[in-house]
Amino acid sequence: MNPKQLACVILLLIIGTMTYTAQIIHNKVATTRAEAEDAESAAVTAENERATAEIETGVFKTDTEEVRRFLRSWLPAVERVQTQQEAEQTIELSLRERGINLVRSRKTELKTTAANKIIPKSVLTTLTIEEEFAKVLNWLGDIERRLPTARMKVVQITGGSTGRQLKMEVSFETPIFDLAAADAEKKKLQPKATEKAKAKKS
Amino acid sequence: MNEYLCHDFKTPRNDTSRRLPSSFRAIPVIFYVALIGSAYVMTMDYFNYKRALKQKVEAEERQGLSESQRDSFKNEKSNLESEAMKAEKVAEWMEGARNIQPIAVKIARAVQTETRITQVALERSEQVPANIALTIHLNGSKVSTELAAIESALGQLLYRSYSPQQTKNGDVVEYHSTLVRQTE
Repeated sequence: MNPKQLACVILLLIIGTMTYTAQIIHNKVATTRAEAEDAESAAVTAENERATAEIETGVFKTDTEEVRRFLRSWLPAVERVQTQQEAEQTIELSLRERGINLVRSRKTELKTTAANKIIPKSVLTTLTIEEEFAKVLNWLGDIERRLPTARMKVVQITGGSTGRQLKMEVSFETPIFDLAAADAEKKKLQPKATEKAKAKKS
Repeated sequence: MNEYLCHDFKTPRNDTSRRLPSSFRAIPVIFYVALIGSAYVMTMDYFNYKRALKQKVEAEERQGLSESQRDSFKNEKSNLESEAMKAEKVAEWMEGARNIQPIAVKIARAVQTETRITQVALERSEQVPANIALTIHLNGSKVSTELAAIESALGQLLYRSYSPQQTKNGDVVEYHSTLVRQTE
């Protein structure tokens, strides 16, 4: 091979190297551009998801505004009685303050409901009192005011031992709300949901 | 200077190697074309690469921001759902825990002095706690009028008597009905 031929071969090699390098760089750039386009479409998808989530949250917020306001207004009453002792003390205080002296019978028991997470326990009270008409009805109003969440199950008013007196048998259920239970249950469910979503994605 | 030497320098010299074919003259041209072409392509690719990188980084930032905002909204909605669920449970309970004392007071005030009520019983339904079974035992000369007055008084508390029944047992009239609260 003479020097001219050698020079030609070297030039051809340089041309080949340049072309190959340019091609590799071009491919790399094409890959980067494709990645950029993918990232752009992923960003658009994420923005759409964000907008959807924002709309859904806004609509849900508006739809449930009234019931949530209801909860906020009742929260102090709901949190007032958290134990059986508190319920009993409230009844005792009401009887004393309203001057109900003749309590013929009184029974309090704790009822447990496993199915209801929000109201897992409630205090069942059965009471028979005998007093003047006004005192009896005022006491009933007072206990309903002091225990606003209590549900009067039975109220039976009959004549008392004297003409001026009334006998009232009342049975009511005071719920012991556990609103934190709902949050705890939600937290328990959240990891499971996340795992399921991850599994779907993979 | 020696004449011989001068002559020797001026004498045409034969090529030491054979000439290349004329088509090989294109090789330098191709080289320059390839050089310019590669330089152009690589320069354009460099700018495109920079632009693509910038676009990718911006898009990823936007995606990250959108995803964090989306998660924040989802979290907020989840909290709202939890709160609404609790509120519905509380509301459901409270619907069946309306005060009974005003009913007893209304009944007592609706009756005239000549009519005597011997018993009033208010019992909440187990299935529908908002409904109250009312039983009144009364005696007197104008029982029907009194019962109408009681129903009217209870209407002021938005309670409607559903399927009222009266049975007479001697002088005593037994009145039974279910009080259903009407929506405002």
